[in-house]
Amino acid sequence: MEVNNKSSKGKMIASGVIPFVFLIILIAYIFGPGSELLDLGVPLPEVTMEKVDFLDSEIQVTVRNTGPIPVEVAMADINDRIQPAAVEPDRYLERYETALVRIPFEWNEAEPYRIGITIEDGTRFEKEIEAAAPALEPSLELLGFFAIIGTYVGIIPVMIGLLWLPFIRRISKQKYHFFLALTAGLLLFLGIDSVEEALEVSDESLAGSFNGVLLVATVLILSFLGLYYTGEKLVSRVKSSRITKPVAIALMISIGIGLHNFGEGLAIGAAVGLGSIAFSTFLIIGFALHNTTEGIAIASPLSREKKVIGKLVAMGLIAGAPAIFGAWIGGFVYSPFTSVVFLSIGAGAIFQVIITILKWIREEGDKNLSSAAVASGFAIGMVIMYLTSILV
Amino acid sequence: MATLYYCYFLMTLLMKIKSRSSIMMMSVLVIIAVSALFVAFPEGISAQQDENVFVTHSGAVVKTTGEVLDPLYTSATVEFDPMEYLRDFNYGRISQLDDGTTLREFTIIADDDKIMEVSPGIFFNVWTFNGTVPGPTIRATEGDIVRVNFINNGSKEHTMHFHGIHPAEMDGVFEIVGSGGGQFTYEFEAGPVGVHPYHCHVMPLEEHIVRGLYGVFIVDPKESRPAADEMVMVLNGLDMDFDGENNFYAANTIPFYYQHHPIQININELVRVYVVNMVEFDPINNLHLHGNLYNYYPTGTDIVPSAYTDMITLSQTERGIMEFKYEYPGKYLFHAHKVEFSEKGWVGIFLVNDNQQDKKSESVEYGS
Repeated sequence: MEVNNKSSKGKMIASGVIPFVFLIILIAYIFGPGSELLDLGVPLPEVTMEKVDFLDSEIQVTVRNTGPIPVEVAMADINDRIQPAAVEPDRYLERYETALVRIPFEWNEAEPYRIGITIEDGTRFEKEIEAAAPALEPSLELLGFFAIIGTYVGIIPVMIGLLWLPFIRRISKQKYHFFLALTAGLLLFLGIDSVEEALEVSDESLAGSFNGVLLVATVLILSFLGLYYTGEKLVSRVKSSRITKPVAIALMISIGIGLHNFGEGLAIGAAVGLGSIAFSTFLIIGFALHNTTEGIAIASPLSREKKVIGKLVAMGLIAGAPAIFGAWIGGFVYSPFTSVVFLSIGAGAIFQVIITILKWIREEGDKNLSSAAVASGFAIGMVIMYLTSILV
Repeated sequence: MATLYYCYFLMTLLMKIKSRSSIMMMSVLVIIAVSALFVAFPEGISAQQDENVFVTHSGAVVKTTGEVLDPLYTSATVEFDPMEYLRDFNYGRISQLDDGTTLREFTIIADDDKIMEVSPGIFFNVWTFNGTVPGPTIRATEGDIVRVNFINNGSKEHTMHFHGIHPAEMDGVFEIVGSGGGQFTYEFEAGPVGVHPYHCHVMPLEEHIVRGLYGVFIVDPKESRPAADEMVMVLNGLDMDFDGENNFYAANTIPFYYQHHPIQININELVRVYVVNMVEFDPINNLHLHGNLYNYYPTGTDIVPSAYTDMITLSQTERGIMEFKYEYPGKYLFHAHKVEFSEKGWVGIFLVNDNQQDKKSESVEYGS
């Protein structure tokens, strides 16, 4: 019997491996040395300028080879005028390799620039900068500035939103469902907002070879599935721990919002860093109003709990504080890829939270998602977010 | 770092909640976040030992651990030597016809598969007459018979079209010369006196010109011009990315070449420049001389200058002769005063030597 077992196991492994072997042979045949099967067409080179920094009398460009073939950086220009420059560490770029092109240039603040990179076959690539702004150098002052901005747009609005808790507490079950649905509506808007932002960044700054849209979709779904699985585990084990189901849900919401705000912080930091935003008080007010609604989203599920003040503060911080970290990262070490990934993670997290809330309303209520309270709550949530988003 | 703080903050928070699954959830998040960071950030740029130095437009000296991208102040290792081309005049194989007329025979071979380094590190497929852009400068005296044995070794059809006076069948427009060894003999009497372009005249014409199929044809008067240090400057451009705009401009093809290889001339010696504008796409080009003015002979057809100026604007294939002497030694710029062109390579320097013995170049004897 044992021998039989072993041989059948061997057969199983073999049957699993054999297709792989054939696959490898196929790939070797097509791409291997001496193969001329795919020697058709002309691969076009491509480089992407991921980041442009305006330093003292110098413009620095991070260039990545995002095409299918190796390239050599041969020349740099500003506004289509050839400039002496340097490329570090060297001009040879393999696929996905990056180099730093340093172009000494007396640039003027707030003026637009077109940066050009020419490679060895004469192809020129261009990146347009709307307004030159000095590159942010990490300093305590700037760290503090971003912390304050993050606090204004992240923590304070969320905390203010949480203050609606006593109000939500005193209302009927119907109205309570209304607020839960409102939360879901708010979140759905935020989720779509994140996806839009992620697609926008990938469209503007990410090379085509990263497959921007599919990158967003993949990261979003991974994030959704990861959180969905762990979230279900968390909720199903509430009985054995000190937290209750509403707390678990509120925690999930605040983490989801936290990830979203992290992406928001990245966007703010990057915008300041890239000089494309004039930080007006108006803008901060817009963000603040918009984010206040996130506080309601966290407060709603907690409204049937007791002794929640500590938890509420903690969750407010979980949801709001990432805006600060996001602003720091966005301002100092911006990379479009990171931005896209974080925005997508945030979107996945938010969609997961929406599912959780809807499920909960359904269980809590009368196995029904089509009540007037739920439908109107959802709709009003979307409308509120839309209206406040106009301010940003 | 900030993310790590955030995660740490969350972890401590969750420790208080003491739930295994929430920790698990967080670790999933942390793993996603950290791996995203690692994927996203450009790999660290490792410092090298040796440092290169280059000079900027404003004179600042910049050090780099990498390579210098500098068509301005580093010399190109290009195959085509603009300095050699500058004073290279081809008078052909000379023989006498029965009636005593001078016959000048030239062999010109067209090609369209040459890859030339046109600027440091930039390679371009140029189409050539006798392997260079511009093609060889053909020179004859008025009344000579010019016979050009033209061979097309290219993969496309080409011709030679001379500006000047000649029979219709020698015009190089309707007598298309086939690829892969097609031949044609152009024969005509040299005239009129002046400086003329020749170029391929096969459609699409713009492409056949901008790819490099052009050169200069000089017809000298029978009574020679005064002895001078003579040179040819073809003002041209290269559209590297085929977008209908030139990426490079130059006198004699290589951008910035005469800026880091100044043209040496002598004080008080007459300099005669045969200038031909072959720039396409842009309607005009021009030549501005520093620290001096020149006598300008449009098309070189008259012996009386039409202007004494330091700035002449030229349209497509407009050309002329410029004559000047420098009174003071030193470095003098010459460039397009359409300065976009000069910032893309059409700029050079005359280095005026004080001492006659320092003269590097031999002045070409006229009309040999």
